Amino acid sequence: MCSRNRFRPRAWASAVVWLACSTLLQAQSPELPTGPVQAKVRTACTECHDSHIIVQQRLSNKAWSREVDKMIKWGAVVDSVDRNAFIDYLSVSFPPDKAPEPGERAGPGKKK
Amino acid sequence: MLKTITRRGFLTGISGGIAAAALVPRFTWAAERGVEVPGKAGMIVRSARFLDLEMPAEFFSSWITPVPHFFVRNHMHEPSTFDADNWKLSISGEVERPLSISLRELAKVDAHTITNTLECAGNGRGFQQPKVPGVQWQRGAVGTARFTGPRLRDILQRAGIKASGKHVMFRGLDEVPGKVPPFIRSIPIEKATDADTLIATHMNGAVLARHHGFPARALVPGWIGAASCKWLTEIKVLDQEFDGNFMKPGYRMPNQLISPGGEVNSADTHAITSLGVKSVIAQPGDGSSVSSRPLRIHGAAWAGEAAVARLEISTDGGTTWRDARLGSQQARYAWRLWDHVWRPQEPGEYTIMCRATDDQGRTQPQSAAWNPSGYLYNAVDQVKIHVLA
Repeated sequence: MCSRNRFRPRAWASAVVWLACSTLLQAQSPELPTGPVQAKVRTACTECHDSHIIVQQRLSNKAWSREVDKMIKWGAVVDSVDRNAFIDYLSVSFPPDKAPEPGERAGPGKKK
Repeated sequence: MLKTITRRGFLTGISGGIAAAALVPRFTWAAERGVEVPGKAGMIVRSARFLDLEMPAEFFSSWITPVPHFFVRNHMHEPSTFDADNWKLSISGEVERPLSISLRELAKVDAHTITNTLECAGNGRGFQQPKVPGVQWQRGAVGTARFTGPRLRDILQRAGIKASGKHVMFRGLDEVPGKVPPFIRSIPIEKATDADTLIATHMNGAVLARHHGFPARALVPGWIGAASCKWLTEIKVLDQEFDGNFMKPGYRMPNQLISPGGEVNSADTHAITSLGVKSVIAQPGDGSSVSSRPLRIHGAAWAGEAAVARLEISTDGGTTWRDARLGSQQARYAWRLWDHVWRPQEPGEYTIMCRATDDQGRTQPQSAAWNPSGYLYNAVDQVKIHVLA
């Protein structure tokens, strides 16, 4: 048994592996389209999750309003004066009639 | 199916799992700047952080899904560190003797194996019209594996369930960002004490991989994947359903049919439990051009706690249907593979469809019941192909 104060290589190895994994996966995230609040959206949203989950959505203005408000409730830092601009940016960038995002393959089995 | 894993084998496996977690990952940039996800191969990245990986349709060709192809659904960050020596699983709440079990103690409890098709409740959400928010899964947030571990009821009986115990709550070691509600859910006591509900420590004969809940996860067979909490660390017996975001408003279906795009009265909903009847086409792929004659059409069909009784194929857009052959490999909660050999008479465009029927008489609908979260999508699957001259 390990005491709490002893160096635990397994735990450290796991932490280092996870950190490296997170960094690389984050680097692979899709770019958000240009727009008036692109940088603010990137900062506020990708604090917790990467942009894959944003760019695959195809939602109406009303649905985007719900999503933005839910994320603010869950801790996304969005200045109240920017809320409507966020919703407009997301609604214009990822509307219901836009073609679906093609799924990106990962790993050694990636298709060419 | 019953299988026993020895204590020595389990502990050896645990050590191996930790070693593998440290040694196997090679963070190399793949061709075209694709990222290699440790332990996974050829998966569709729906989200990189939190990790959500979908199995491509062509991998529906194996009755047991290899772990590298098994889908991953994470609501939160995976635990960043793990200390096997200090990991404990606590059992508390409406029990006579609250207790805490170490990994070594868990390994001493008789283990059982259940072959189960695990499917995310949101699988197929990407096909919903009008579109709804969430991970836009298509066909592959589902897989079949052999899960092994102690029966949950054996652990609960050690603690002694009080008569007031009606639901069993699971909490994992997920790391919660911001003010996001923790991923905590509960299942009714009847399902928790079913002989087939496990605390799984192994998957396909190996120690659970990190992405699949190492060192222990709940395995609630036949039910939506969200019931099978990963990185399990706390079990609590409750006198009522857990009251939290991922029980309500999350993972609920409207009691009434909703017109597509319509509003739902949250009071008129119920928690999702078992999976519906569903089938998908593995190959040929949607949009593909084929020249082979005869052409083998194949895929998988499942029905949660029920059994698949029939699989039909249409090669003319649903006008006529023929029975496909169901594969011989089967287990109570596992999908059936199926195939059908088709000889197209002439070149051209074809729409191929499949639909499953289970032993409760449920048949896949032509269009799925729309709901604002896109849960339990199970419409007849279809692919459009071009048959070459």
